[in-house]
Amino acid sequence: MPGEQSDLRLGRHSFAPGQLLVMAIVNRTPDSFFQPGDTWDEPVAMERVHQVIAEGADIVDIGGVPAAPGQEVDANEEIRRTVGFIAAVRGAYPDVVISADTWRHEVAREACAAGADLINDSWGGWDGQVAEVAAEFGAALVCSHAGGQRPRTRPFRVSYQDVMADVLDHTQKLAARALAAGVDPARIVIDAAHDFGKNTWHSLEVTRRLTEMSATGWPVLISVSNKDFIGETLNLPLPDRLAGTLAATAVCAWQGARIFRAHQVIQTRQVLDMVAAIRGDTPPARAVRGLA
Amino acid sequence: MIVAAALCPAPPLLVRELTGTDPVAADLRIACLDAAAELMAADPEMIAVAGAAEQTRTWDGASSLDLTLFAPGARARLRAGRSPGLPPALGVGAWLLGQAGYTGDRMLQSVAGNEPAGRCAGIGTSLAGSRARVSLLVMADGTARRGLKAPGYLDERSAGFDADVERAVRSGRLDALLSIDQDLARDLMATGRPAWQVLAGAVAGRRVTSEIRYVGDPFGVAYLVASLRVPPDQP
Repeated sequence: MPGEQSDLRLGRHSFAPGQLLVMAIVNRTPDSFFQPGDTWDEPVAMERVHQVIAEGADIVDIGGVPAAPGQEVDANEEIRRTVGFIAAVRGAYPDVVISADTWRHEVAREACAAGADLINDSWGGWDGQVAEVAAEFGAALVCSHAGGQRPRTRPFRVSYQDVMADVLDHTQKLAARALAAGVDPARIVIDAAHDFGKNTWHSLEVTRRLTEMSATGWPVLISVSNKDFIGETLNLPLPDRLAGTLAATAVCAWQGARIFRAHQVIQTRQVLDMVAAIRGDTPPARAVRGLA
Repeated sequence: MIVAAALCPAPPLLVRELTGTDPVAADLRIACLDAAAELMAADPEMIAVAGAAEQTRTWDGASSLDLTLFAPGARARLRAGRSPGLPPALGVGAWLLGQAGYTGDRMLQSVAGNEPAGRCAGIGTSLAGSRARVSLLVMADGTARRGLKAPGYLDERSAGFDADVERAVRSGRLDALLSIDQDLARDLMATGRPAWQVLAGAVAGRRVTSEIRYVGDPFGVAYLVASLRVPPDQP
């Protein structure tokens, strides 16, 4: 469906193309790369949910397995970490959009049954049955590009004739597969998956050319928050990557991305509101200067 | 006949243009350039480059690495090759020879990752016999699972595997490389296995001494740089 962006449906909500959405990351892991273990304890994780919603998050993305290799987390353990928590968040916030960050259909099924509205599969459709689960539950699905890499692996000397062509090809094939499986076309999202199966040059290239993704007509999600390509570009360690994250966020928003997966919600929200105003999609909050 | 040989790893980051502002691995690069210079100093008629790739075949000696495969967007700064891009191991080797100032004949030989040891050794024998004076540049990497941050994450077997390879090279007893377990090499992401065995075949029956120029794993991949000296056989 190349062409115009149209309304995106997540849970009970419908979002018009100009609306830029913050997806707040809530990790139910002891070992994710950014602030590891911060929300490993459930009460702390719930506190984080209260906080990010108050800060303006539109979507809460709940994951139980870090992207990097490490301690094995099987499907049962992933379910144990995330599904009860998803149910608790749904209970506390009947209306908020809940995303389950998983590549496994078994986990996706339990997550949707517990109230998840969106399956965020960052590993490029590794488990082909995830789309069927999305269809079965009327959930939304993120179709991402991970360069064909197995989940939880690092890129090793990856190369592409044209990385964006590969991203477009793969994500659109996944979107077509999701459609064929019966996923609502208004609930299909695509994601280049920065750093997944990509070196820093590749992630910069997909950022630079993000317009090509939004031109497909599918809503585009970006997940750049504090990632290694930002750290390598600026030669900065994890705690110092916020400015780089926000720069990449702004550039992607300008090029038509619509969902922004983020650790720092307030700052991301401000950047998106600013870009939306620059684009002319939203008016300034208050315009008095020179008008009095 | 082989008059000199060198062993170098083939990470793309050896190519200076790919690492951004920071030279990243300057000491490794210098060690590789020194090894390449020694190959030239042996006054060969030709330098053969061997490296693992998807297929076993020879490549046009004028071919080069297409750097844009790794660094899109840096195009303006990268020399665009006209010929089809070489597989990375050979491409990095060709780049090294260029950096070292070599302008003579080249033979570029890729070896498939699943080629059995005997076939690899046979390819080495053929390369050695292709001219009266051949220098051989072998582009081969050790395991990529040497730590928690390694590309392949930590596998405890990596250290022993790489130590065995280093011991064979250091001692000049390169036939030991022919008995590397192919499955273990694959599990440990030791992509250099076929190329090491080409080297073993190329110098089979010759007395070899070596100088280790670099051993390290700064990014979780085992890098080994060595110059291998092969004196002429006594009549």
